[in-house]
Amino acid sequence: MTYKIAGQVVGGDFGCVMLRQKEGAGIEIGSLMVSEEGDSFLILQVFDMEYGSQIQEGMREMMSGVSMEQVTDAKFYEPEFVNYVLAKLKPLARVFKAGDRVVIPKSLPSFFGRLRMISSDDLKFLQRNRGSIFVGHIRSGSDKLDVPVWLPAQDVFSHHVLIPAATGRGKSNLVKCILWSVLGANSVGVLVLDAHDEYYGRRRPGLKDHQKASENLAYYTPSDPPPGALQLAINLKSIKPEHFEGIVDFSDAQLQAMHMAFGRHGRDWIKRLVLLDPSDGSIDGQGSSKDGFKSSTLTVVQRRLRMLLSLSVDGSETITSRHEVFDADTRGMTTVDDIVDQIGQGKVVVLDTSRLGGEAELIVGNVIADRLLRRYRDAKAKGDLDRKPVATIVIEEAPRVIGNDVLVSNDNVFSTIAKEGRKFKVGLTAITQLSSVIPKAILANMNTKIILGNEMKQEREAIIASASQDLSGDDKNIASLDKGEALITSIFVPFAMPIAIPLFEDLVRDRPGPRREKTRVF
Amino acid sequence: MRFAHISDIHLGFQKDPALQDVEQGVFEDALDRCISMRVDFILMPGDIFHVNIPEMRVQKYAFTKFRQVYEAGIPVYVVYGSHDFSPVSNSVIDLLAAAGYIIKVSQATSNDDGTISLDFISDGRTGAKITGLSGLKAGKDREYYEKLDRAPLESEPGFKIFLFHGGIAEMKDDAANEGEMMPLSLLPRGFSYYAGGHMHRSSKREFDGYRHVVYPGTPFAGYHSDLEHNARGAERGFFIVEFEDDVESIEFVPLENTRYELVQINAENKSAEAVNLMLHQKIAEISPADKVVIVKIAGEMTNGKTADINIPAVRTSLAQRGSIVSLINKNQLKSKEYEITQAKGADRKEIETNVFSENIGQLRLDREDLTGERGVGLAGVLLHRLGAGQLANEKKAEYAERIKRDALAALGLDDDDS
Repeated sequence: MTYKIAGQVVGGDFGCVMLRQKEGAGIEIGSLMVSEEGDSFLILQVFDMEYGSQIQEGMREMMSGVSMEQVTDAKFYEPEFVNYVLAKLKPLARVFKAGDRVVIPKSLPSFFGRLRMISSDDLKFLQRNRGSIFVGHIRSGSDKLDVPVWLPAQDVFSHHVLIPAATGRGKSNLVKCILWSVLGANSVGVLVLDAHDEYYGRRRPGLKDHQKASENLAYYTPSDPPPGALQLAINLKSIKPEHFEGIVDFSDAQLQAMHMAFGRHGRDWIKRLVLLDPSDGSIDGQGSSKDGFKSSTLTVVQRRLRMLLSLSVDGSETITSRHEVFDADTRGMTTVDDIVDQIGQGKVVVLDTSRLGGEAELIVGNVIADRLLRRYRDAKAKGDLDRKPVATIVIEEAPRVIGNDVLVSNDNVFSTIAKEGRKFKVGLTAITQLSSVIPKAILANMNTKIILGNEMKQEREAIIASASQDLSGDDKNIASLDKGEALITSIFVPFAMPIAIPLFEDLVRDRPGPRREKTRVF
Repeated sequence: MRFAHISDIHLGFQKDPALQDVEQGVFEDALDRCISMRVDFILMPGDIFHVNIPEMRVQKYAFTKFRQVYEAGIPVYVVYGSHDFSPVSNSVIDLLAAAGYIIKVSQATSNDDGTISLDFISDGRTGAKITGLSGLKAGKDREYYEKLDRAPLESEPGFKIFLFHGGIAEMKDDAANEGEMMPLSLLPRGFSYYAGGHMHRSSKREFDGYRHVVYPGTPFAGYHSDLEHNARGAERGFFIVEFEDDVESIEFVPLENTRYELVQINAENKSAEAVNLMLHQKIAEISPADKVVIVKIAGEMTNGKTADINIPAVRTSLAQRGSIVSLINKNQLKSKEYEITQAKGADRKEIETNVFSENIGQLRLDREDLTGERGVGLAGVLLHRLGAGQLANEKKAEYAERIKRDALAALGLDDDDS
């Protein structure tokens, strides 16, 4: 097979192979190129570019002056020889043609060797395996190749996923595409805390349009559930004092009062605490001096619980929640268990938390994540873990729960999952603009990063420093990622993969049409 | 104007003659009360019968009572439940409907575009508009709701009632599993009353867009656990609903069924001998006469086998002292000394083989053909043969003889081997 030559190696070193571009070859930052080398070939990626010229700089500047000021049609003699583009490449992978074996490259392409642009055939080793999910197509520069990228869901989600990106670079689109693929697979249980109510697609295309939505998607919303959706109601009895830790900044005395209330009143602790008269300083409201709480402490705890959970108490001591998510009566008693059950069945569970405040949203997430982790721990203890699908929790603005500042005082269940969830097949899918404020130990545990464009150098540095592949030369590559473009770095892919993410609306449009056949009704 | 809402009667569920009498009595009492209260109509959203073709004894008294209701001029509107459903309209429900004693309200049209349209039945006397959908096993009726053409149902004016047979997820009050639940949002909105069946405990709730979602629960028992709930004080009955343009009141009408004694034995960390002693003492303390006695033994014993608990003696004692029936539950009783280790498998056969393999090591037998892999194989054959069902037209005695002969053959024994 003959290939069109795109450039020739003219120098450099292992981390920076210098290539002279053939005129008109169209090399871009991120372009993938191939060096044919007998029984194998080397895949390289362009990470930087610059001009090269055989004419000295001063002469070039003078010629520019002549061109602009005197002779407007002045041209270089044989310009493709004297002026050119130099591309800097790094080797990504060596592929042995027999058996499509892929190894990390340890040698340079031959000096003066000619490189061509990559083709789909070169990437046939990227095969879809059972239980894998589609995230996009391989991208060479800005060209999308007809090579789908599949990630092994079980491994990727249990080892945590980080999606770092600046605003407007397509985070939501990416997450929707991933969830769309997961919905079809039914091999991953997902909890999505949807702070913008954007994934289900009440009024526009969304996950509800997937052909398997009725089987594999559960949507909980506090208001006006569309047909098939569930009312999001969490009974206050589901919440324990530890669910506030690492989420809300309570003082030690306040936390002590909350724990004592839980010890005294069990699952009714919030209700009893909110209703008690704080003036006697006791948790049971009967003047028990041994409790020794200042009335101001109890007053603050009451006020903060009311604010956090949007609770109000009427004259008959009936507690209601303004956004109707938290219930002090009998609603929502089984919601947390139901959600955990659904996740354990490999379903995607989307919670519309758009009406909740930020902290209340995290408390809901904490309650469910806590129960989920316990359930999976128990399953492991009983030897049943192999039968469970991997579970992941999609959390936006992840530093709210795994950021340096919130973990200074207390851990929470999200940080526990980040550190040890992998043992129990529970992972995080953390979305953030600010990777730099997540502790390095947690970042390093996020073994798959789907990196979208980011113009903030500090953030790029944090991502590059914790990547699963060497991205030390990819700073410009990441900065230049356009909307819909991403770079996947993961211990589960052979090299850092540039991908083009599909537009979610296109996935919806191209889905198999619903079967239009009569239904027999008894 | 008023109607009655009764569900999940499960006629034909009880196997014990004494409990069959209670079952029949509760059913007849409920409908007699409807007649005496002069309700305008009765709603029965499924599981009137425990199976779609119950034994003739049950059909006989059911037809008798429904005829009385019919002759009293009270229409009975029903949908199939998951137990009395028939895909070929062969249920006793269809017989009752053909006789004109009850009216099936599921007037569904399957449209070319895959949607399902429902028509209303208008109650002649009150003008109430009634429609609904049958319940199928394992929540398969969910597809009906997903394909339901909702707009015409929701825009229909007047007093509207929707009959359905299925659990609503938002109405679960604890983790008790009553099978697959569906979201409330699958029901069409804006009806005046949602007459539910399938949930065996009475409940009624209001939601935004769904006023009066009501389950009367079973009036007696349709599962074994219902009897235990009864013994714990669960109130059984049905609802009477007063209405004009809207629902004005919903009153629960309690029905008596029978009297109960619940005996609970905690066997945790006790020997089989100690459990027997405790059981004997507790049984001696109760007054079982004319009561259903439920004995629940749970926990992990330190020694002995679960079979060492002398259940026949308990039954005999209770029967001699006049109990209606004794129900003894030791499903949650285990023994540390001899415990069947659970095992997993891809299918039933693999699970059975794995359970035998896991547990056969506990046996200490000299014969090699009863232990090891051969023992596992023999156990599988025995299980299969002992589990064989009765053939059509095979008499009970013939069936027992055949099973015995096959089992002995599996063991390589003759009938006269001793």
